[in-house]
Amino acid sequence: MVESGKISASQAGKLLYLTVIPTAILTSPAMIFKVAKQDLWISPILAWSGLITVFIALRLHRMFPGENIIQAGERIIGKFLGKMVGLIFPLFYLYLNGIVVREYGEFVVGALLVNTPLIVVLGSMVLVCAIVVRGGIEIVGRFAELFLPAFITLFLLIIVPILPDLNISNMLPVMGEGIAPSLAGTFVLQLWFSEFITYSFILPFVTDQKNAAKSIMFALGAVILTLVVSNLATLLLLGGLTGDYAYPFLILARYINLAEFFTHLESLFMAIWVLGAFVKICAFFYVTVLSAAQWMNLSDYKPIVYPLGFLLILVSLWVAPNYQEMTRAISTSVNLSIFTVFVAIPVLLFGLACVKKAVHKNKNRR
Amino acid sequence: MIITFLKHLFRSDQLRSENAGAQRKKPHAQTELSKNLGENLQLFQAIYADCSDVIFHDFFIGGKKRAVLIYIEGLAHVEEVDQHVLAPLQKDIPQGWTLTDVRRNIAVSSIKPVTTVDHVIEEVSAGNPVLLVDREKQGFSIGLSKWEKRAIEEPSAESVLRGPREGFIESLLTNTAMLRRKVGSPNLKIKAMNIGAYSRTKIAVVYIEGVADPALVKEVMDRLQRIEIDGILESSYIEELIEDNPLSPFPQLLSTERPDVASAYLLEGHVTVLIDGTPSALIAPATFFSFVQSPEDYYERYVVGTAIRWLRYLFFIISLLGPSLYVAVITFHQEMIPTPLLLTMAKSREQVPFPALVEAFLMETMFEALREAGARLPRQVGTTVSVVGALVIGQTAIAAGIVSTPMVMVVSITGIASFMVPRFTMGIAVRLLRFPIMFLAGFLGLLGLILGVILILNHLLNLRSFGVPYLSSLAPAKSRNLKDVLWRAPLWMMNTRSTGKRNFYRQTAGQRPGPAKSDEGG
Repeated sequence: MVESGKISASQAGKLLYLTVIPTAILTSPAMIFKVAKQDLWISPILAWSGLITVFIALRLHRMFPGENIIQAGERIIGKFLGKMVGLIFPLFYLYLNGIVVREYGEFVVGALLVNTPLIVVLGSMVLVCAIVVRGGIEIVGRFAELFLPAFITLFLLIIVPILPDLNISNMLPVMGEGIAPSLAGTFVLQLWFSEFITYSFILPFVTDQKNAAKSIMFALGAVILTLVVSNLATLLLLGGLTGDYAYPFLILARYINLAEFFTHLESLFMAIWVLGAFVKICAFFYVTVLSAAQWMNLSDYKPIVYPLGFLLILVSLWVAPNYQEMTRAISTSVNLSIFTVFVAIPVLLFGLACVKKAVHKNKNRR
Repeated sequence: MIITFLKHLFRSDQLRSENAGAQRKKPHAQTELSKNLGENLQLFQAIYADCSDVIFHDFFIGGKKRAVLIYIEGLAHVEEVDQHVLAPLQKDIPQGWTLTDVRRNIAVSSIKPVTTVDHVIEEVSAGNPVLLVDREKQGFSIGLSKWEKRAIEEPSAESVLRGPREGFIESLLTNTAMLRRKVGSPNLKIKAMNIGAYSRTKIAVVYIEGVADPALVKEVMDRLQRIEIDGILESSYIEELIEDNPLSPFPQLLSTERPDVASAYLLEGHVTVLIDGTPSALIAPATFFSFVQSPEDYYERYVVGTAIRWLRYLFFIISLLGPSLYVAVITFHQEMIPTPLLLTMAKSREQVPFPALVEAFLMETMFEALREAGARLPRQVGTTVSVVGALVIGQTAIAAGIVSTPMVMVVSITGIASFMVPRFTMGIAVRLLRFPIMFLAGFLGLLGLILGVILILNHLLNLRSFGVPYLSSLAPAKSRNLKDVLWRAPLWMMNTRSTGKRNFYRQTAGQRPGPAKSDEGG
């Protein structure tokens, strides 16, 4: 066994929540606004991709207990094809994580540490994540557990002070053009909700399996709720301007003005963002390292953590020449590739598994 | 090349350990006492050659048979020995006596037969006089040891306003007695052992059977038995030799001088190790939260206890991050400071030649130096240090234009905060970690600070004390145990034990007090 650690179902749920939400809060309002306009807060509620991926992760684990989607894939479509498909996951997680790391770096450099070289910001974060990931799933899970209250507190600290300034009329008309724009928004949100397939890699290490489904549904619900709240808050404050900012939620933090004394609390937002990005990068990096080690049949993943970390820094620099290119890629090619790897491949595998099972059953009956 | 070098290293290591083993091997281990008193006497006189404090008292029992009493002056109660051992044996013993008669005639309740040379040496070293009789292969150790010891006082490092004022002292027997007085049940087990090739220090492992996890007790015993050292002078010797991660700055065993604290942990299923010659008891396992709790939390009303606990958490964070936060904000995130405050701060920093990081580093080092000097110096000189210190850290430093006023304030607040951590070992670890975080904050601002905190948390999350995660109750979370972490629950709500699954319930539920229910309305 590559990993000997165990985590509880609630830790897994918290980990998934913190894996999905941070980048979603940061950029999703602007991106959904472009397609859904004032209905952007309805889109998270209709998020179908989250349900599909969670369902597949749970069902596949029930069919092949103790195995993640790559290992299950080898059983379903055979050793060779399974290995081929299995290679996609570590590579894609590395690529996706590279985007996350780059997003994090661009944000920190763009909004806060203007004179710091990008590589320093990226490198320090990846180094810290590598150190943490070496501790295994237990440590990553405990970090999620520890940071969740801090994350929620900081989130509320940004939302609550601006409540008096919200303008309800900004959300009208609700569903003025029917449900179609909101549905279109879900295709943007698919970027984040599909990441729930990560649960498949964590499920084998969950001790109390009977709570696994409950906790992940809870996490999914929490993600939807948080997105609805954050999207609504940005919409009600910024109205039609929501789409014009790269990070609308940051504007919220800037807007805070408590008793004319506490102003410019975007550092608060940076704290929330760094904490969230840290857990997200750790989770993705852990999955990369774990699936790569399993793919190469290593007995331990620790030796490949630092080399892959180095690779992660490089990938994060390679993903795009600049931030504008990257946002464009995220809404086009990355969106499609996430759909392919995180939704289409799992659905295909799951479908094949079901067919195989049915055929097997029929054979037995005869 | 490298392999031969490694082999060489390995071999020399092996050799060394063999040498050490040979040294430790006692020349007369398990040798039986001889029947001939002369031979025995010769042997012991050779062993105790040049030991002027060892007395061999030669006399005749009942005026007939020769006997020798061996004891160490100053460790044995000489008057009692004269009165209750020598007098009856020389005068009152009946004719034709046997060894049983000798035993019965000694008017001392604690008397043990000894048969081996080793055992005799051990008893004599412990202060018990040993009686050897001619023509007998058996001697007696008489429990009349008595040596000077300190009176029981209130431990100055862990003072409380309300609560017992007694503290452990240097004598192991007094300490175990104090624990026994607190926990009267026969389930309180005290296992004794000796550690130290030369010091032969007595160690007692104390736990409550049925409450403490047997695996934990075994683990503690195993780790203690693995120790091979020449002498144990303080509990920290044991601590350093049995802890889980010897490289960590954080303490992994709780040391306390208070019997009430030790008993409280015993009741929670922890194991206490008492060491002769030191007033500090070691408690295993210990979590992070045991180091930021004070016994007073439980003796005050629970609302007050909870509030003080949160105050302590707050200042714990300040003592770790105070200067770094200041450095980060003043260097990178000036916009966070409200404008009027920023203007005053800028005015004060105007003349200061150093960047905030250097300034903070300078003042923090100065503060640590003052603290250390104050702690080591005799009390009379100590006042001088504090006066000079107040000048250095305070007014003159600002007047000289070396540091700014806010910096002095930050350093002083941090100093006070670090003294709010009730356990010195934890406080000093935090003070130490403050410096690297300060550097990170100076280089990367708040981001560096957060990364530093993450690294420390990573260490804490990886750390274990006797198999128990260091941050347990919080991460991994046990909602049931948070009653003693996030708040100090009232005693009638503390129904479950925090460690182990054995004997999970510590009291009956529903003991919330209140006035008797009566039908009559007021």
